[in-house]
Amino acid sequence: MQNPYKPDLMEVIEVRQHTVDVKSVRLRFKDAGRAREFGFRVGQFGIFSAFGSGESTFNICSSSTWHDHIEFCFRKVGRVTGALWEAGEGDTLGFRGPYGNGYPMEEWRGRDLIFLGGGIAMPPIRCAIWYALENRAEYGAITVVYGARTVGDLVYRDELEQWAGHPGVRVIQCVDPGGETPEWKGEIGFVPTVFERAQAPAANAVALVIGPPVMIKNTIPVLERMGAKLSDVYTSLENRMKCGIGKCGRCNAGPVYVCKEGPVFTFEALRTMPMDY
Amino acid sequence: MSQRVSKEELRQRAAAWLEAGKMVAGPVRVKAGTVLYAPLPKAESLLLEGWVRPANSIKEFVFPRHEVLYSYRVDAAGITLQEPEPAPREQVIVGAHPCDAAALPLLDKLFNWDYPDDFYNRRRAATAVVTLACAAHDEECFCTSVGLGPAAERGSDVMLSDAGDGAYEVRCLTEKGAALWGAGVAPAPAEGGMGAAGPEPRFNPAEVAAFVREHFEDPFWRERALPCLGCGACAYTCPACHCFDIVDEGNARGGVRARNWDACQFPLFTAHASGHNPRPAQGARQRQRIYHKFLMFPGKFGEVLCTGCGNCARNCPAGLGVLPVVSEICHAESV
Repeated sequence: MQNPYKPDLMEVIEVRQHTVDVKSVRLRFKDAGRAREFGFRVGQFGIFSAFGSGESTFNICSSSTWHDHIEFCFRKVGRVTGALWEAGEGDTLGFRGPYGNGYPMEEWRGRDLIFLGGGIAMPPIRCAIWYALENRAEYGAITVVYGARTVGDLVYRDELEQWAGHPGVRVIQCVDPGGETPEWKGEIGFVPTVFERAQAPAANAVALVIGPPVMIKNTIPVLERMGAKLSDVYTSLENRMKCGIGKCGRCNAGPVYVCKEGPVFTFEALRTMPMDY
Repeated sequence: MSQRVSKEELRQRAAAWLEAGKMVAGPVRVKAGTVLYAPLPKAESLLLEGWVRPANSIKEFVFPRHEVLYSYRVDAAGITLQEPEPAPREQVIVGAHPCDAAALPLLDKLFNWDYPDDFYNRRRAATAVVTLACAAHDEECFCTSVGLGPAAERGSDVMLSDAGDGAYEVRCLTEKGAALWGAGVAPAPAEGGMGAAGPEPRFNPAEVAAFVREHFEDPFWRERALPCLGCGACAYTCPACHCFDIVDEGNARGGVRARNWDACQFPLFTAHASGHNPRPAQGARQRQRIYHKFLMFPGKFGEVLCTGCGNCARNCPAGLGVLPVVSEICHAESV
């Protein structure tokens, strides 16, 4: 019997704590054969589990060009993430996947890339940024605008610095007004306004926008004003999921299974869908 | 060649199936006023008349309300996962209604697109459905509005219909049915079909689909959902509703990961960890149930996800359900 719900066993090889309630975990397949055959597309997701607590859905936030591990990042908010929070090096977690469509990185070749993220939405952008950096010649200018409520809520801060060191990459960090510290050298303001001030080249750009609904809502008009087409602006939906394989009915957004047809959609496609996400 | 079987002979067959070690389920009066599809402890428990529809459906025999997906054990050697119990035993569902049987081909599609779900498939393969064509209907029945009828054959392996003299006419519709009954597969009935007249058609599914497409944001849903208690009885008693949850039951040493029936009428069904909920109010959840059945599922799988059994309305404590809601849609549309 094929059991699509049975996870692979993964060994925790590294845990990093980013904020007071956000950690990222690196995992390696315990089965060497499975590790060799495994592949995924950046933007796809997995269902990660702590045995005894349950499963949760997260983006695989490592690049698909890295073959010795996968990574996911989460905020501790409930029972499953509470158990994942306790996982340390050497512990065993479960993983099912990869699921979903992923980002069309091949189609984006030759284009400038704009990455706009808010808060805990950095991980699903990070995988695409690393992928682009590892295939640097394929892509044009890269602009990253990443904002969080406070300085303490920014995740992957060390990598933001690394990305900024690459040629042709501009990284702008911002925090909401009041979220800054005396040492803060980044921008103060919300992602849409900070991005508009940055005047990044948008006409030949593909944009990936992931964040809270209010950030997305206010960012789209800015992108349009700057010359981006909605068919070139992508996001990743976060509908709640259980099975990940188009059965359990939970992620339905209007006519689609987000787990199958998504989670990555262009805003042109979203415009034809009812507000069910 | 049609065969006949008396009620007594049918019970004898059920007894023989039980004797052969099969799980035999059928309508059983579990208490005064309540008829459910349930495993028959003995053939005499099989109820063949005196009811219109059991309050549940036969889906639980192919898609149990609680099903272990695998178990895990944690010891000094680490974590080991164990597959669930071996293939389920053969089962016969006798006395199913056409509106129950017709849901099985719908579930077949759902559980087999892209990723085959062998938990479902192996139970389905081990199940034969002996359907009893309806001799009666009540005001909640609306099979004829969704392209079915009191003697609809979809999903059935054997069809029994009242021969008018206390016996049933028997037709084996599939090889599985023929093997169960020990007879040949019978051809389709003469034009006009068999069985009693069904309920008058009450609505056109295409009109419902058009309404939900064009009135996604509409006060209709909020107003219609005001009485809804969000109890989920509609989904649990529906032959076609199939949404499920996956949970762990156990502790740090061992336990199981299982799936349980879920329902789109519960607020937590779609709630994100962030607190955002795409369907924050009951109106959106009522709309989802109609949207999924009449627009989403037909778009994906080519058929309406409703067999017109009326269980949602019969079991709703607040007078809702597909027919009451949809009748209002079609009434509003034609005004």
